[in-house]
Amino acid sequence: MSARNRGTELDQVGGATEEGVDLPSSLHPTGMHTSGFGCFPMEPEALNLSWISKMQVNQPAVLRRAQQIQARRTVKKEWQAAWLLKAVTFIDLTTLSGDDTSSNIQRLCYKAKYPIREDLLKTLNMHDKGLTTAAVCVYPARVCDAVRALKAAGCTIPVASVATGFPAGQTHLKTRLEEIRLAVEDGATEIDVVINRTLVLTGQWEALYDEIRQFRKACGEAHLKTILATGELGSLTNVYKASMIAMMAGSDFIKTSTGKETVNATFPVAIVMLRAIRDFFWKTGNKVGFKPAGGIRSAKDSLAWLSLVKEELGDEWLTPDLFRIGASTLLSDIERQVCNNPLSWDKLTSVFLRKKRKIPYWAMRTREKTSSDLPHCTQTSAFIQANPHLKWADWTRERECA
Amino acid sequence: MFMGYFPSVQDKNWGGQRGAGVPLPKDSGQKLSSPSCLPDPILNSLRLPQAWLDTQDRHLGHYVNGKWLKPEHRNSVPCQDPITGERLAICLQAQAEDVVAAVEAAGTAFENWSGLPGASRAQHLLRLAKMIQKHQRLLWTLESLVTGRAVREVRDGDVPLAQQLLQYHAVQAYTQEEVLAGWEPMGVIGLILSPTFSFLEMMWRICPALAVGCTVVVLVPPASPTPLLLAQLAGELGSFPGILNVISGPASLGPVLASQPGVQKVTFCGAIEEGRALRRTLAGKGAELGLALGAESLLMLTEAADVDSAVEGVVDAAWSDRSAGGLRLLIQESVWDETMRRLQERMARLRGGRGLDGAVDMGARGAAAHDLAQRYVREARSQGAQVFQAGAVPSDSPFFPPTLVSDLPPASPCTQAEVPWPVVVASPFRTAKEALAVANGTPRGASASVWSERLGQALELGYGLRVGTVWINAHGLRNAEVPTGGCKESGSSWSGGPDGLYEYLRPSGTPARLSYFSENLNYGTFGLAVPSTLPAGPEIGPSPATPYGLLIGGHFQAPGARSSRPIQDAQGNLHGYVAEGGAKDIRGAVEAAHQAAPGWVGQSPGARATLLWALATALERREAALTSRLERHGTELKDAKVEVELSARQLRAWGARAQAQGHVLQVAGLKGPVLRLREPLGVLAIVCPDEWPLLAFVSLLAAALAHGNTVVLVPSGACPIPALELCQDMAALLPAGLVNVVTGDRDHLTRCLALHQDVQALWYFGSAQGSQFVEWASAGNLKPVWVNRGCPWAWDQEAKGAGRELGLRAARTKALWLPMGD
Repeated sequence: MSARNRGTELDQVGGATEEGVDLPSSLHPTGMHTSGFGCFPMEPEALNLSWISKMQVNQPAVLRRAQQIQARRTVKKEWQAAWLLKAVTFIDLTTLSGDDTSSNIQRLCYKAKYPIREDLLKTLNMHDKGLTTAAVCVYPARVCDAVRALKAAGCTIPVASVATGFPAGQTHLKTRLEEIRLAVEDGATEIDVVINRTLVLTGQWEALYDEIRQFRKACGEAHLKTILATGELGSLTNVYKASMIAMMAGSDFIKTSTGKETVNATFPVAIVMLRAIRDFFWKTGNKVGFKPAGGIRSAKDSLAWLSLVKEELGDEWLTPDLFRIGASTLLSDIERQVCNNPLSWDKLTSVFLRKKRKIPYWAMRTREKTSSDLPHCTQTSAFIQANPHLKWADWTRERECA
Repeated sequence: MFMGYFPSVQDKNWGGQRGAGVPLPKDSGQKLSSPSCLPDPILNSLRLPQAWLDTQDRHLGHYVNGKWLKPEHRNSVPCQDPITGERLAICLQAQAEDVVAAVEAAGTAFENWSGLPGASRAQHLLRLAKMIQKHQRLLWTLESLVTGRAVREVRDGDVPLAQQLLQYHAVQAYTQEEVLAGWEPMGVIGLILSPTFSFLEMMWRICPALAVGCTVVVLVPPASPTPLLLAQLAGELGSFPGILNVISGPASLGPVLASQPGVQKVTFCGAIEEGRALRRTLAGKGAELGLALGAESLLMLTEAADVDSAVEGVVDAAWSDRSAGGLRLLIQESVWDETMRRLQERMARLRGGRGLDGAVDMGARGAAAHDLAQRYVREARSQGAQVFQAGAVPSDSPFFPPTLVSDLPPASPCTQAEVPWPVVVASPFRTAKEALAVANGTPRGASASVWSERLGQALELGYGLRVGTVWINAHGLRNAEVPTGGCKESGSSWSGGPDGLYEYLRPSGTPARLSYFSENLNYGTFGLAVPSTLPAGPEIGPSPATPYGLLIGGHFQAPGARSSRPIQDAQGNLHGYVAEGGAKDIRGAVEAAHQAAPGWVGQSPGARATLLWALATALERREAALTSRLERHGTELKDAKVEVELSARQLRAWGARAQAQGHVLQVAGLKGPVLRLREPLGVLAIVCPDEWPLLAFVSLLAAALAHGNTVVLVPSGACPIPALELCQDMAALLPAGLVNVVTGDRDHLTRCLALHQDVQALWYFGSAQGSQFVEWASAGNLKPVWVNRGCPWAWDQEAKGAGRELGLRAARTKALWLPMGD
């Protein structure tokens, strides 16, 4: 089991509505922002085509689920503010335009270091918690600028670089690999590669696996985020298969889109990718991260993405190690929202610091207690709750024993 | 763990600050739960329904004739919040005189309402839809507060659907004169709801009734204010106050409502056993009875399915507060482990809590539903089943966690019993064929979904399931345009679409239904004994002698009793002997019909038409013989000729009509078609009338065969010989077992057929007593019955003999949803 599977260390974010939200690790006074991942990059798995051969995704059903999930978990007031700040810590602050120069890269890095206005944070009593975005993301040629700017600002926010013929991926493999090596040399610690869509559309899964393996190798110590460009894959089934292949080949993250396709990050696609991530976790015990990118502009959207990840994968994925949002304009909208809802700091801290209640709501005694039965839970369910890290195979074995 | 159940906050600091700022409705706040312990959004939603309850002084009566009716000296029941148990209001219980008043009001309103042009009724329904739109927040908060269901489902599902229903039926009312020509509204409709069904079920039924011009009296269980609110909204439109009357009272008032003179039809939504009891009570009473029973659903998950999406389907079906009942889940063995793991993982993410919280998946449904589920789970566990419940909920909590039961022994009572909310009973299957057998083996047949990415397999299963609604790769979709109903024990009442409209229509000119109840009919002995028959004198008649024997399984055979029955002609002379069939022959005939059924269903309508046309030709060839037989029984020569001619025409007409059956619906919000299929009822037993001995026999037979049924017929008692003549051709032309004809004592044969559990539908044309018995006995397997209540029919009239009513009765509808997309 790889070093990434650290379920116990990961901070838990509380419920979506009215539950207290525990302090995110990056906001924790003692846990100042450490550089991106606290662990080693992912080891590749051997290619196993049987994991994808039978898979079929039903598109209308996924669309229905996507529609439901957006309305199902709404957060309001101070919880919303807390969730928005949490969302800030997941942002890969991005600029990917032809007219990037060192000056706007510098501004971007400053924004990454101070994502929310200081006075706002002060009202929220969050100014000394080291709130930053998760990373900055730039073109390979701008990596040097970004690294320099961040060093000048005195912070350790990682620099991510797109690579491998971004955004189309239609260049020779040799130059694509070289691109990665150069970006890493320049100081990028995270590489966002695009996959070759041709290989997906023609069903050459082995070739795709080999390419991503080579990307992985070229990255060295840097983390690999694989962009699937889902808008160009044709079907949700292909999205699932490409996700699986990318994970088997050792990606640390799978990312929805480049932001340059006509269709960017959508909920149906995200649901399929998150399910693939869960399946991969169940099969190998390795946690792979998820990064939606492109088209996420409003604060409301970002909350929906957070709740989507929480619903499909659980709280342990709500950490910058395993969840990122690639966005350029989202941050200013979040800032605006936080600004529009001035909340007294005691309220917000009460949300952050409130412990889980001792008496849950359902324990309210409204019906006469007639019997002495204990809460029912079969042996197996108790067992699986006590051992969440165990794989399914172990669990079934245990069931037979019990 | 079953996450959540945390919305309410016991935290004093936090709650205190909150509550202080919120003004509460005057004079009600203190009676209610301490308001400081509820979070803001819930508290806000609470105020609206409570303000409405305050307008009634927390004292709800009935809504009759556009006014609140609060009679004195009535028992009352408290209406409680199912979660906190606090008293929200007091509801008066109706008594018989309140029911009488409501039926009278509806009767008076019917005069005006049914006389209106369809366009005006459409206008009124649209105004009601607008009214609901204006007050939708009150509607959904009240419903969620009282029933405990998640407000999200009510808000995003039920209320928009209620509006859509009104809009759809407004259009139907508008086009009524054109499309539904030849049909008229029945009159006053009684609707009885049981506590498990929400106000939406009421909307499904009152909308078509009101659209076609009927007026409605709804009996709701005590402590359900939402239907009362709806009635008030309708009443406040002013113009037609008495068209919708709602009274709340105990279930025992159901028969009282049903037996009011003037009530033409009663629709009952509730539990299967209650429906069965009501069927027995109402035998022979005036009103027709429509049953919509049970709430269990079925989900079939094959190995070719998108398992994650299917798991969401299970959530939609059982754990999302969308449906009223539990789910039977059939999983193919090869994906069993994977599915169970995913299900359990998904269950842990479900969030329960107070229904008014917008982020809650499952609310609580009150003590009755809780106890039902508790009993079922305890029973299942005691029989050795594996029970998985996500999270531990104390036994005295009002909440019941989502529950997954597996490994239930096949022979245990729980396997057969209806699965209650929110339980899912999973069982494995090996092949699709086996799954179909298991699914069709349950006595219920309301709805099912099939999950498979293989188109051929999905369609095969979808067509094969004996249920009212099948969704392919989806679960729980509903739309006003798509008929919803069931078969087998789920009752045969339909709502929505054209089928919903016909429920409340009858062919123009049909006399009003009156009670023909006979006190001295003894169900235990009716038709039990067969009168003994003796030789009855010299046999004079044309040669060759009349056929003797019963047509069973394609050939004539001697009756089990080995005795015969004399048939007299119009002069009282002996015409001939026919076989005296009995219980044993009926058994044989039904079995033969069952064996022939798959073959006949598999025939294309074209092939069926060809056979019917061939039969028509054969009939014409026998014209001379048939005419003379009829003449001998007292028919005028001219009339006899007409009867034979009409009979041939009926066969051809039904043959031609068999071609055009179901059709495709296009539904808003769904990509892909919904097929409205017309499927055969199965083995249909027909007891033919004495009048028009040949024509009635042929009309009924032709309609039944054209729709793919296999039949067991009892021909006219007085004059069975023309029908038997025709049997000789049928034995030669038709596949064996398709048509079985049994002669004998009609009461005795009726008894055997009505009590037979494998007869899937029964049409009875005979005496009033026989009709009453048939209605009573049909409660056994809840087979749909059609009786003439002792009234003779004019079979030579187009409306009767070849009417659309016959076509409607001869097949049942199935809605097959086919969402598409890639």
